[in-house]
Formats: sequence, structure tokens, C-alpha cells
Amino acid sequence: MSEMANTDPEGLDGVRMSWNVWPRTKVEASKCVIPLAASISPIRHHPDIPNLPYAPLRCKTCSAVLNPFSRVDFTAKIWICPFCYQRNHFPPHYHMISETNLPGELYAQYTTVQYSLPQNPDPNLGPSPLSPVFLFMLDTCMIEEEMGYVKSALMRAIGLLPENALVGFVSFGTQVQVHELGFSDMSKVYVFRGNKEISKEQVLDQLGLGVARRAGGTGYQKGVPIGFPHSGVTRFLLPAADCEYTLNALLDELETDQWPVPPGSRASRCTGVALSVSAGLLGACSTGTGARIIALVGGPCTEGPGTIISKDLSDPVRSHKDLDKDAAPYFKKAVKFYENLANQLVSQGHVLDLFASALDQVGVAEMKVAVEKTGGLVVQAESFGHSVFKDSFKRVFEEGEQSLGLCFNGTLEINCSKDIKIQGIIGPCTSLEKVKGPAVADTAIGEGGTTAWKLCGLDKSTCLTVFFDLSSSDRSNTPGTVNPLLYLQFLTSYQNPEGQLILRVTTISRGWIDSAVSSEELAQGFDQETAAVVMARLTSLKMETEEGFDATRWLDRSLIRLCSKFGDYRKDDPASFTLNPSFSLFPQFMFNLRRSQFVQVFNNSPDETAYFRMLLNRENITNAAVMIQPSLISYSFNSLPAPALLDVASIAADRILLLDSYFSVVIFHGMQIAQWRNAGYHNQPEHQAFAHLLQAPYDDSQVIIRERFPVPRLVVCDQHGSQARFLLAKLNPSATYNNANEMAAGSDVIFTDDVSLQVFFEHLQRLAVQS
Amino acid sequence: MAAFLPPGAPRPRSGNDNPSQPPPPNYNPNLNPNSLADNLNNLNLNRPPSMPSSAPRASPFGQPPHFPSPASLPGVSVGSSPFSRPGPPPGALSRPAVPPTGPPQSTLSPNVPPPARSMGPPTGQPSFIGSRTPPGYFPSSGGTNVPPTYVAPPPGAFPSSGFPSRPVGSAPPPGTRPSTASPPLTTGPALPHSSAPSGYVTNGPPAFMSGASPGGPRFPPAGSAPPPPIGHPLTLGSAGAAPQAQSMRSFLASPAVVAPPGPPAQPASPFSAPPQGVPPPPGSYGPPTWPVQPGQVGPSQPLSGSVQPPRMFGMPPPPLPNQSMTAIPALSQTGAPVSGTSKIDPNQIPRPIPSSSSILYETRQGNQANPPPPATSDYIVRDTGNCSPRYMRSTISQIPCTADLLTTSGMQLALLIQPLALPHPSEEPIQVVDFADIGPVRCSRCKAYINPFMKFIDQGRRFICNICGYTDETPRDYHCNLGPDGRRRDADERPELCRGTVEFVATKEYMVRDPMPAVYFFLIDVSMNAIQTGATAAACSAISQVISDLPEGPRTMVGIATFDSTIHFYNLKRALQQPLMLIVPDVQDVYTPLQTDVVVQLSECRQHLELLLESIPNMFQNNRTAESAFGAAVQAAFLAIKSSGGKLLVFQSVLPSTGVGSLSAREAEGRTNISAGEKEAHKLLQPVDKTLKTMAIEFAEYQVCVDIFVTTQTYIDIASISVIPRTTGGQVYYYYPFSALSDPAKLYNDLRWNITRPQGFEAVMRVRCSQGIQVQDYHGNFCKRIPTDVDLPGIDCDKTIMVNLKHDDKLQDGSECSFQCALLYTTVYGQRRIRVTTLSLPCTSMLSNLFRSADLDTQFACFLKQAANKIPSSPLLQVREQVTNLCINVLLSYRKFCATVTSSGQLILPEALKLLPLYTLALLKSIGLRNDGRIDDRSIWIECVSYLSTPLAIPLVYPRMVAIHDLKQKDENECLVSPVIPLSSEHVTDDGIYLLENGVDCLIYIGNSVDSNILQLLFGISSAEEIPTQFVLQQFDNPLSRKVNDLVNEIRRQRCSYLRIKLCKKGDPSGALFFSHLVEDKNPSGPSYVEFLVYVHREIQMKMSS
Repeated sequence: MSEMANTDPEGLDGVRMSWNVWPRTKVEASKCVIPLAASISPIRHHPDIPNLPYAPLRCKTCSAVLNPFSRVDFTAKIWICPFCYQRNHFPPHYHMISETNLPGELYAQYTTVQYSLPQNPDPNLGPSPLSPVFLFMLDTCMIEEEMGYVKSALMRAIGLLPENALVGFVSFGTQVQVHELGFSDMSKVYVFRGNKEISKEQVLDQLGLGVARRAGGTGYQKGVPIGFPHSGVTRFLLPAADCEYTLNALLDELETDQWPVPPGSRASRCTGVALSVSAGLLGACSTGTGARIIALVGGPCTEGPGTIISKDLSDPVRSHKDLDKDAAPYFKKAVKFYENLANQLVSQGHVLDLFASALDQVGVAEMKVAVEKTGGLVVQAESFGHSVFKDSFKRVFEEGEQSLGLCFNGTLEINCSKDIKIQGIIGPCTSLEKVKGPAVADTAIGEGGTTAWKLCGLDKSTCLTVFFDLSSSDRSNTPGTVNPLLYLQFLTSYQNPEGQLILRVTTISRGWIDSAVSSEELAQGFDQETAAVVMARLTSLKMETEEGFDATRWLDRSLIRLCSKFGDYRKDDPASFTLNPSFSLFPQFMFNLRRSQFVQVFNNSPDETAYFRMLLNRENITNAAVMIQPSLISYSFNSLPAPALLDVASIAADRILLLDSYFSVVIFHGMQIAQWRNAGYHNQPEHQAFAHLLQAPYDDSQVIIRERFPVPRLVVCDQHGSQARFLLAKLNPSATYNNANEMAAGSDVIFTDDVSLQVFFEHLQRLAVQS
Repeated sequence: MAAFLPPGAPRPRSGNDNPSQPPPPNYNPNLNPNSLADNLNNLNLNRPPSMPSSAPRASPFGQPPHFPSPASLPGVSVGSSPFSRPGPPPGALSRPAVPPTGPPQSTLSPNVPPPARSMGPPTGQPSFIGSRTPPGYFPSSGGTNVPPTYVAPPPGAFPSSGFPSRPVGSAPPPGTRPSTASPPLTTGPALPHSSAPSGYVTNGPPAFMSGASPGGPRFPPAGSAPPPPIGHPLTLGSAGAAPQAQSMRSFLASPAVVAPPGPPAQPASPFSAPPQGVPPPPGSYGPPTWPVQPGQVGPSQPLSGSVQPPRMFGMPPPPLPNQSMTAIPALSQTGAPVSGTSKIDPNQIPRPIPSSSSILYETRQGNQANPPPPATSDYIVRDTGNCSPRYMRSTISQIPCTADLLTTSGMQLALLIQPLALPHPSEEPIQVVDFADIGPVRCSRCKAYINPFMKFIDQGRRFICNICGYTDETPRDYHCNLGPDGRRRDADERPELCRGTVEFVATKEYMVRDPMPAVYFFLIDVSMNAIQTGATAAACSAISQVISDLPEGPRTMVGIATFDSTIHFYNLKRALQQPLMLIVPDVQDVYTPLQTDVVVQLSECRQHLELLLESIPNMFQNNRTAESAFGAAVQAAFLAIKSSGGKLLVFQSVLPSTGVGSLSAREAEGRTNISAGEKEAHKLLQPVDKTLKTMAIEFAEYQVCVDIFVTTQTYIDIASISVIPRTTGGQVYYYYPFSALSDPAKLYNDLRWNITRPQGFEAVMRVRCSQGIQVQDYHGNFCKRIPTDVDLPGIDCDKTIMVNLKHDDKLQDGSECSFQCALLYTTVYGQRRIRVTTLSLPCTSMLSNLFRSADLDTQFACFLKQAANKIPSSPLLQVREQVTNLCINVLLSYRKFCATVTSSGQLILPEALKLLPLYTLALLKSIGLRNDGRIDDRSIWIECVSYLSTPLAIPLVYPRMVAIHDLKQKDENECLVSPVIPLSSEHVTDDGIYLLENGVDCLIYIGNSVDSNILQLLFGISSAEEIPTQFVLQQFDNPLSRKVNDLVNEIRRQRCSYLRIKLCKKGDPSGALFFSHLVEDKNPSGPSYVEFLVYVHREIQMKMSS
């Protein structure tokens, strides 16, 4: 467990678990309150992961891959699978194996290894079957200014694409326009109406890519102009190098949607059909092609399937309240539509990335399913001119250190020791359902019912939460034979940006513990941060899927039960309550989670909520924890930058605060600082120190912003300014108007009736000790 | 050649610079011609008033010689080689212009139909003309540029041309000729004389028929038998007959017969009369006694009669017909004394006699309606109260007082209305009356418009409506005192009070929206077939050339789309660097890909449009899509122009096979399943289902007029397709089998005429009749939503609407009955107008008056349209029977009630309707009423008939044939198209070349033994064997070729149609095609003319006796 070092909590394996020691039985596990869950970052980059240029050895019964936990009989050239205990012979090319000559995958420290698989040898796939495909799908229902922004962003992006990447372009508004980039005589566009649902077959047929036609054959098939040897889809998808000029010219001339919008109406925008058409077009790609639809959407879908709101402007877009009251007439239908779309994309192995930029909602809540199931990226901004969009979009295509490492066609398989059941995964993936087995739990959480998942799109930061359960059978009667360790193996195969097929194998082991014997040991294995995130993700899921789910109440009860079980106290004596250090931070996480945008959704639109949750689900534990409980750093003359309490008390007139709540980064100048700055002191040489002080949080914020995708919103504000709310909303309201008189000068108060952390703790202690 | 070009024409590059260079040349040449054409059009058509009658025309047409021919020629000759591609536009062809041939441009201009009218003789001339009879022969007239060649009249020509074949029945072979022929020939020389003698001249008109005159002479002899003339002259003769009669007599020598009618006849003569007391002007009008005289034997053929055009006429009556006649038992049975002697002389039976000269016609004289001249004649109208017969004519110029009377006559009462008909250039233009805000004065009850027949009373304070009889207050602003004659004092100053046709400026009340812009949307088939046959290229080229002919101004909008199994629109907005192609792939459920920018102001997209049209053929060069989504494409195009309405011009090349409204090759199905096919044969002439009809009705509702240019080589189900144009006021143009060599020129000219001819948009038409008569139904290309009105998304000068009338009450004998047609429409320049056409005719209770005033051309046009109407819904046999019965019934009625009793054994024909049997026979043999033709040919025939104008109705079934191997030089003012040969194979010889035209096609038949020199001169080939299947008439540098080209252009001008020319030779299908048009011959689809007369006669006798 060396990887548990604090500096890199996820280590080589990229795995963090809510419990690092597992109780033996299902009953015990349920008493632990916090589920057994592992957060895995399947392809997280780590410099120490060895790359093995050969195919892995698999167990012949359970198909687990050879790993350091396998027992090896060097003389007999046999290895024993730690999962099923099957004895496997090494193949001939391992004949050199010995205790001193181990293959990479058997080194004890290489619990994670990466195999580069040979290229797909199928010659039918053409010269570069694995060139990634980028199909840009651009909304044209927007004002000229926005259009200008998005066009320039697109042009820049196209310039950044690798030369061999195939590019396609679809624009949409009232109708969908598929641009045939390979037509040299003039700009050529296939137009689909926006108000009619269209199946994949129809799309292919109407684009002249029908199955019969792709099959080749006689020279008289319709829709296949001669002179296009690859006819088919290469008319629409061209290598970036070949079509950059065409695309730029096309974008130059592209206008906003020309269909008239009557006053008092929303533009008619057929996002749904556009997605169907795009997906259909990609359906013509040969299987195994990594492809993504990059949808740039500037408003809600109002036309055809997938509509989220009527065109009448007097109809407001659905709110959480509407959803609760079932007063959003389009919602369910739209979700259903996007679900089907998601299934189609998944079956094709393609990704939907959603870049939504609009002041109002665009339907992220409805489209969430398609983005999440395909492992797509999502960015939500107010405008295409906003840095949140611009910089994020650029990052998608950037190469090098900062690159997102967009990979395609991932598949995740999990092998686990006997008696461990997998309930499911929360995160950007889709259950492959068809894979059933003893390791599949009866009840599913998220994408469940399987031991294999499809990740159409995944990147270096993709993170999944796997929920485990234990078999209910009680087999403690054979304690002698019981292995004290449990094993989990995560196999992720994918296609990297260069088109290589990679298989990453992570095998971890954890200890079993009889919790009846020692809850102390169990507590030692508790990972508070992970547990908080797991709880947040689970809560979000339940809020979305369970009718009438009371999140706050459920969280409170869980917390109370946890404290009851692991706290140290005398019954009915709140004052006696203490908590093991392994749990000490957890209540505070829960306090902030209760107040966060994930649980208190009514301050946000459904789109925002969906957006936050998608990111919560796909980010690593550290980042997710920041979403739940922002970090606050204080800058002042008197001391080095230091973390500050997430409390209103941290505000001081002569301080600058830097709040990182993941989605936004706030630089908050105390009153005094703001006055000085306004007076321009920092421009005077004698006040260089002040200039440095001012600059420091900016620099730090840039570090945060640069590493993060999507790029957070940077808010710079002053105490008592209107933007200060971005900070205040996140702080513990220890000082409210109720007790303002008690506060020190220069500090601040928050106008809220929310309970403060102190109050929360008091209640928790009282309830936890109740018998 | 350059010299020929009109000054205005942009000549620069046309000439010889780089004939070979393909691309640029193509366009230039074309352009030039266009400009020419433009000028013409503008002059003649759009701005009638300004034109000095003669001047303008002269320029365009005057040049004929080179003009026409060269154009076509160069293209062809040269074309063939360079032409590898079918596509090249006609213009292109001209390009290569061989130096000798002449300026390429000429091609186009000559062909251009519009100017046709202009050609007409100058106004002043009518007088002369009238006098002249045989148009062809007369050098006499002041003709300015009589080509020298003319001097040598027929005689000379004959010998050379080898006219010999004449031989009288017995002598078929050439050898005989000399002897037999001699008589006619000899007479030939007489011709010159003939012209001279006044008497002869008078006959002229008949002479025209050439045959006629000779026939005339025979008469008398024949006369010996029965009093042939009697019957006819009596009734009919009265009118025009008189003068002619006289003349006739002189020749005829048969005094008795003719005489009586003659004198009284005068009334008829009116128009003809005008100028110098010259006898009967255009013979056409009232050629006196042509009635068939069955009994007569053509006695002395040789005679003086021969004088005329010996060529055709001179022909002795072939023995065969005679024999058949005699053999006919029917005659004898009737007990006619004639039996023994009776023979029908085929040379004497009635045939149309085209008039060569213009008639000056006043619509009313002495406050009496003046019966109109034949629709097919050349006349100049002076509107003196009644409308010009061009706009509206009745089947009978007097209205029967009762329905019974009408029924008894067996005739139809109907109006043929061609509201925007082309006026003669010499006619006064229609005056536009602007009542400003108050709008035109109308009857407050029936809403009839003010017209010359509204009677003002009570010092002008009130007026009585001539339609409904209601008395209205005169609007104060419109009040005027009455003069002593009871007319308003201002009647002569106000066009609406003295003209039968005026146009009112429409006020806001007549608009549901602003007048629509002129929107033209072109839809081009680019499926594999269209591309490969060159149809697409031809269409693109034609459109490209026609762009400059579109109305100028900001109100002209243009759009374009192409289609195969998908529909391709083009965004032509100027801001774009190049056109943007927008594909609509869903052909089951179509939509338009853009709200705007698919249809753009012409001024904004001209360059893009040209660029696009140039690139379309190349762009789709390798198209392998054989499917065609015609219905969907039309629907989509409709959606694109739905907001404004407009013209949709579709170029279609294959059977629509996919998408909405797709069709199947049911013709083939019908063939394979013969039993069903036989029984339900006519079903194939009906639209296959209602899909297209439903679409068309919607189009009409949104004022979209669809014209379809069918450039195909296969079955395309015209019956179904034509529903769209028919319902929307459009028409179908049919190029079958499409030839990339010869058809592009026609396509271009058709398209150009389609766009430049006078026309209107979003029109509504209603006909009002005086009390006692009401409209029964309308027939034509339009959409009808309410019973009283006809909706015409598009209406143009070629479209005619038939209005059937019925009595709902008795009329007062001696009173007048008025018909008023009001057409509310928008001009291409966006003015809303109401064209009001009023015709007032006397009522009669005399059956004989009805027969005397029957208008043959109009009646026959009605026959034709009714028959065409029935073909798709009734078994063919039944239709044929009905047609025959219609004819018989009319004649029977006349025979029964009007003819003298003595003539029982004879077939007696009313003078005015004497050609009815011939035309009826021709109709029975027409494409539509035969069952051996292709389904599409029949469908297109039906489609064409439905809007056919009266003047074109007769040529369609009874084509015009002239010999062209020996064209004579003619005076400029004379009719180029003459003499006309009867449509009988006897008149077609193996050493002759004949041109036959029916207003749609032009067949040139080349006999097997034609002098190779002539072939060389005319076609550049040395023997009939080398006749190409695809033919483009070229003009070679020799007089004969020039003349033929002149002739063809003259015909095209007259027909307002760029006739397709096809060469035919004996012994192959083309020859059979040619002979199938010779309606007087006996052939599988019907008896010979003589036999038919006998049949009709027998039927009448049977009915008489029963």
C-alpha cells in the first residue's frame, strides 16, 4: 500500500476506495454505512507505469490477467490466478522466466501495467482505420456576435487537429445541414428537416451511404458518384490536412440560421435531429473508428424530437420545481430521445461532446444521458466568447503536456475475488449488460448488471466510481482456507490518440477484516475524502432516479449512523462524543455537501445541476472533494499564503482570499485592499510589496485554471461587491445577521438562515449519542 | 454574314474569330441572337403600340435568308464533330460557324417564334393582298425585293424538279408523264396569265388551294349531273360566296349553279371587300361553292383550271378514288339519279384554302356584329365595339334563341377564349383605362364591367347592364350626357365604351396581397439518363441564354434546383463566393432547405447563376443515379416559391421513379397484360392516381404555375405528369425522342418564348353571359375551386379556354346577347390589371342563320377539345363514333331543314361547314384517336389540345404540306407558305421533297429519287440513303436552301413554335410517320377522304329515310 502516500493519494493505480479494509460479511458491510466503493481513474497518466509491448496472459477460466499477486511456480512454469485459483501454464515465450528474470507484469511494484496491443491487422479498414474522427456540429441559431466567437474558436480548433484526423461538419438551426467537404465543385450541403425524427438507416440512405451501397458491387448504384473511390463516408469526413481550407472558407461564409423567428418566439433549433443525423453519419464509419461529435449549442432545442421547450418565449424553460411537479411537458420525452441516441452512439462506439453556451438553459439536463453514457466532454458557459468556453475548447485539441489525452473505444472489465459482487458504476460509461456472472450483484447502482462497461470516450482524468457488495452467503465456517486478502483487477482497453490499442491492467489487493473483532482496523482503512465523494455521487444519483428522495435527510441519517457506529461516546451524553481522526473531517464534508449545488438544487437550473453532477461523477477524488468543499487560501502582508477556514470569519479587510470551488475560482479583495488597489498604490514603486500581494492570488489562480478542464470561471471581486456572492455562498455562515454584533471589525456577515457548522455539529453529537 | 446582323446586336466576337474554341464561344453567339430576339419580342409583343408596323419587323425577319438557316446549320454541320458532348447549347453549335454558312447567331433569332406576328404585311397592304390570289405566283405586288429567282414561276420549276409524276391515274411511271403531264404543265405556263386575269384572281383564294380552282372548272362540266352547287351556294354561299362565285363562274362556266347565291352573298364579303372592289378577298372566307358534289365527275381536268399551281392540282384525279366512289352503293341506293355518272372527283372535294393575304376586319359594322374571319386566316382587326375574335370567338356568330333550336342544328354553342392572345402588329393595342381609386364601373348586381353595350339612359344618369338587365345609377364622376344618337357624348373617347377589349387598372379591392413578383424557378433533371443524353446540358444552356430575357427590375426573382434521387437547391446569394448546393435527400416528405436565398433577385445572382448553369453538366457528369424524384422535386420547388407564387419550369428526362408521386412504367405493364390492356386501354391515358393532382391543386392555390419540358427517350407517363401543368395553367413541352443534336435549339426557343410571351400571373377569369345563357363549364389548363371562376396561376398568350354555354331561358329574336370575359391578372412587371373582353352577338330563331354564321374553325376546335377530353375516360371506339356522329348530325340537320328538297341524292354541305367532314376525318386519324400510337404520344396530344388555340387547332389534325424541292421565288409580301398540297399521297412523288407541318412537328419527306443536286443544295447529302436520323436544318449558300430556311422560319413564326424538324424517307418508320399524316389517304386508322364522304352521305341518307 505504498501508493497511499499522501502526496499522491491515488498513486500508480489511480484507485481510491472508501474502505481500504473490508468487512467480511454483507451484514457487517451494511453496518459500515458508507458503501464499499472504489474510485478508479482507468487511464490516468503516471510516469512509472511500465509499458509492455506484448499481449497479456490471461487466466483460462476467469480471463484475469497475470499480475504480481499471482503465485508463480517458476520450475513448473505455472501461475495461479489469484481470483479463481486456476493453474495456468506459461506459454513458450515465457520460458525464460525465473525468480530473477520476471516479466514486467510480475514485478511487485507494478500493480498497474500497460500493454500495447498490436494494430488491428484487418486490411479492410483501409489505410488509417484508426484515425480519430471529429464531427463538428454547430448551432447557427445565435446572434452574429456569438457566431463570430464560435467560428473563430472552431477555426482555431481545426488548425490544432492532427493532420490525419478526419473532420466532418454539420450545422443546424431550423434544419440540419451536413456539409459534404469532399465535393470540390462547390459547397455542397445535405439538408434534413428539423422537425421529423430520422433513423440511422434513413440518414445513411439519404446521404447515399446506405448499406447496400457501401457494399460496393455494380457500378450503377445510386448515390455513389464515380470518382470517389472510397465513396461513402469519405465524402463527408476528410483528413484535417485536406479540408482545413475548405472548412475555413465554409465557416467564413456560414451565416446564422436564415429562417425567420417571429417576435416573441425562440429560434427554431433542431438539436435533436442534428444529433441523430450526426450519429447516423458516423454510423457509416467502419467499426472501431474512434469518433466524436462535438456539438456546439447556443440555445435550447425547440424543433423536432429532443425538444425541451416550446418556441413561445412566454413559456419559461423548465425549472427543478417544474420537474418535481411533473410540469415539464417536454422533459421525459426528450430524455427518452437522448437515451436512444446515447444507445446508438454507444453501439457505434462514438462520443458526444457538448459545448453549451447560452445565458439560458440549452437542455444539458436532457442531453446529459447521451454525454455521460458516451463518456463525452461537457462544457457549459454563458457565451462562446467567454473564457470558460474558449479556453476549454482550445484545450480539447491541444497537444502536449496539457492535452486531455482523448481516447476512444474504451472497455472496462473488472475481475474480483470470490464473494465480491459489483453493483455498478457511476461515471461516464455504459453497462455492456450482456456480460453476466457470479460477480454481478442483484441490485444495481448506476450502470450495473455487468462486469464490463463501454467507455466510448475517456481521457486522462476520467474517473469512475465502482460500487461493491458482498455475497450474502455466510462462509465463515472455513476460516482456515480464507485468504486474508481480496483482489480487484481493472482491465481497461482503449485506443489512444495516436490510434494505438492499449490495455491497462490494474490489480489491487486489500485486506479482509472481521469487523466484529476490530472496528478499529476498519476505521483505519476509512478514506474520508473518497467516502464523501462517493456519498455525493450516490446522493446525486438517487436524487435523479428515486422519486421523492429526500437527500438532506438521507445524508443526515447516514452521518448519524456512521457517527453512532464509529464515534466514541457515552450514550446520551453529547458532550462525551469524540470521533476517530479517520472520521474527523467527514462530518464537515457532509455539512458542505448538504449545502452544495449537488443537494440544494433549487438555486440552480436543471441544466446547471446536470452539468455539476456530470463533472462530479467524472472528476478524480481530489477535484470532486473541492466541488463539495471548496478550498480557501488567504493572502496577507503578514504571512505566507495559507489555507484559511472555509468560514465567513476568514474575511478580513486587509486580506485577499482565493476560493477554489472547482467551477469557479474567486479572488476576493478585502475592503482595505480594494481601496488601495483603486488608489493605484500597486503601481507605485514604493509599494511593490502590495503589487506582489495583489499578483500572488492571480498567479495561483492561473495555475489552477490551467490544469483544469473545463476551465473554471474566474471571478475577481471586492468585499461588499456584487460578485462577492460567489465567495459568500460557499462559506460557513458562522456570522449571520443574527449574530453580527459579535463579529470582529473588518469581517463580514452572511445574510442567511442556514445553520452554521457549529450548530450542525451540536445537533450531530446529540443525535449520534442517542440510543 | 456579319452584315446581316441588326445594328443593335452585339456582334463583336460572334464572327469567325475563334470558331473552334468551345467554351467562350458557346455563350457569345447565343447571347447575340438573344439580344436580337429580345428586340423583336419587345417590339412586337410587349410594346405593341410603339411599333410602326412594318419597320421593326423588317429588320428581324427581313434578313431571313441567312439568319435562320445559318444558325442551325453551322451548329449542325460543324457541331457534329466537335460535339462529342450532347450538352452543348444550341448557341454553341452556331459557334463553329463555318464561314460560308453565315453568322451563327442567326440561328436563334430566326427561329424565334415571337416575332412571327410582326411579319405580317404592313397595314396598308391588305387591299392588295386581297386581290391577289395565288400568293406564291404573284410577282405583281409592289413587292420590293422580289428575288430574281421568283421570276421563274412554276412552270420553269416544274420541269426541272421533275414534277412529272402527275400522270393521270393510269400512268404511274415516269415515262408516261410527258404525255399526260403535258396538259397540266402546259397550263402551267398559263399561270402568269392567271394572275393577270382579274377573274382568276378573285378565285385566288380558292386558287390557293390551287386545287380548288381547277376543281372549279370541273364543276361545271360535272354540273351536268346534278345541281351540285345548288345546295351550298344557297345557304352558305350567301356570304362570301357571292363575289367569288362570280369569279368562279367565269371559269367554271357552270352558270346556273353558282349564280344565284353570288349576288346576295355580299354580306359576307365585308371584310374581304374593303379595298378595291376587288372580288372576294381571302378566299378562305367564303369560298363559294365548294360543297362536295358527289355526283360530279371531274370532266376536263386539263383546262384552264390548270392554270393554277399545276403542281399539285394539276394532278388528274387518280382513278382509284373515282372508282371507289362509283362503286359506292350507298349513293345509288338513295336513289340518286346520279348513280351511274356519279363519281366523286377527289380534286373537287372541299379542301381548305389558305388565304394568302391579310383581311381587314371590323368587329362591328353598322352596329351589327360582324362575323369573324376564319381563325386560321391572316387578318387585322379593328375593334369597333366587339372584341377581336382573337380573344374570344363563338362557335356560331348568331345565338340561337332557344335551346331547342340549338339542339336541332346539331351544333355546339361555346366560346373559345384566348384572353391574352397575340395581336397582329398592325392592330391598335389594347387600351389601359385607369379609374383611379374608384375602380372600374361595374353593374352593381352582376358585377359585369362597363362595356360598349351598357345602355345609358335618363340623360346618362343611369345605365342598363347588358348582362343582367339591371339598371344602375351612373357614378357621379362618370356621368356624361347623351348625344342625339342616344350614346354618351364621350363614348368615342372612352375606350371602355367603344372597344370590345380594354384593360382596367385594378385597385386594391382586386388584390388580396401586393401583386406578386415575377418569380422563375428552374428545376433540372440531372439523373444519369438526363446527363448522358445531353438533356441537362441543353436545359442549362437554354436557361443560361434565357436569363437575359427575363423581365428587368427588382421584382424579378430567380431560383434553381436540380434533382435525381435527391433534390439539390442552390443558394445564389451574392455574398457567397460561389453558389452553395443544398441537398434535400428526403424525397418522401420534402421541404425547402432555406427560407430565403433559394429564390433571389435576378440582379443579385446573375453571375452566380451563369456560373452555376455552366457547371451543372460537369458537376454531375459522372452521376450514376438513375432514379428521378420528379414529384418530390416539384413539391420542394413549390415550397421554395410558395410564399410568392411564380413560374416553375421543370426539365424532366426520365420516368419519375422515386419519392412522392413516383410512377411506374405502366405502359409496359399494359403491354404485357394484353387482356386487361385492351379493355382498359384508355386508363393509361388517365393519371395513375390522385397524388399529383392533389399537389397541383395546392400549387394553384399558391399561384405557382408549372411548365414541364420533357426531354426523354422513354415512356414517362405524360398522362400523370401533365396533370400538374394542366391544373396550374402551364403546359408540357415534349421532346421525344430527345436528340442532343437537334433539340437544344428548340428547347431554347420554347423556353424563351415561354418566358417572353405576353403573360400574366395569379389570374382569375370569369365569363358572364346575358340573361338566357349561362356558362355550363370551362375547359382548359386551370384550376377550378368555385363554379363560377377559373383560377390561373399563369396565363399566357397561347392558352385558350373553352367555355361551353347553355340556355336557361329563351332569347329575344333580334336582340343581342352579350358575353363578357373578365381576366384579373398581374403583369410580369407587377401591375394588377383586369382585361375585359366583351362580345355581343345577335340572336336568331332561324336555323339557316345558324348554319350561315357557323364558325367552322371554332366549331372544330370545340370538337377537338371535347374529343380529347373524352379519350382518357371512354373507350376509343366510342369516342371515334361520337366524333363521327357530331359531324353527321350537323350535316343531317342542314340537309333536313335547310337544303332544297331536290338534292336528295347528293351530299350537301353548308358552305360554312363544308370542310367539317374533312376535318372530322382528320381528327379520326389524329394521334389522339388512333390506338396504334405510343401512350405518351397520345397523352401529349391530349394535353396539347386542352389549351390549344383556335388558329392552331386545325393544323394540328390537318397539317399543311408544301413542296420544297422547287420553291419559287416570291414577292416579299406574299405568303411564303404556299401553295399548299392536299394531304394525299397522290400528291407526293418520289422525286419530290415535301414539308409537312402541324404546328408542333415539321416533317420533311424526301422521295427516293430526288435529284441529288437538290439534296446537296438543301441538306448537304447526296442521296436519300444518307438521311440522318437527327437533323438540324442548315442554311447553305444557295437560293434553294435559303428559301427553305425562309419557309421554315416563316412557319415557325406563324405557329409561334419552333417546330421540330425530322427528315423522313420512304420505306422506314420515318416514312410511315410522314404518310400517317396524309389524312386523305386510306390507311389503317380510317378511310380515304372520298370514302368518308360517301360514308357520311350514306349515313345521312339513312337517317333521313328512317
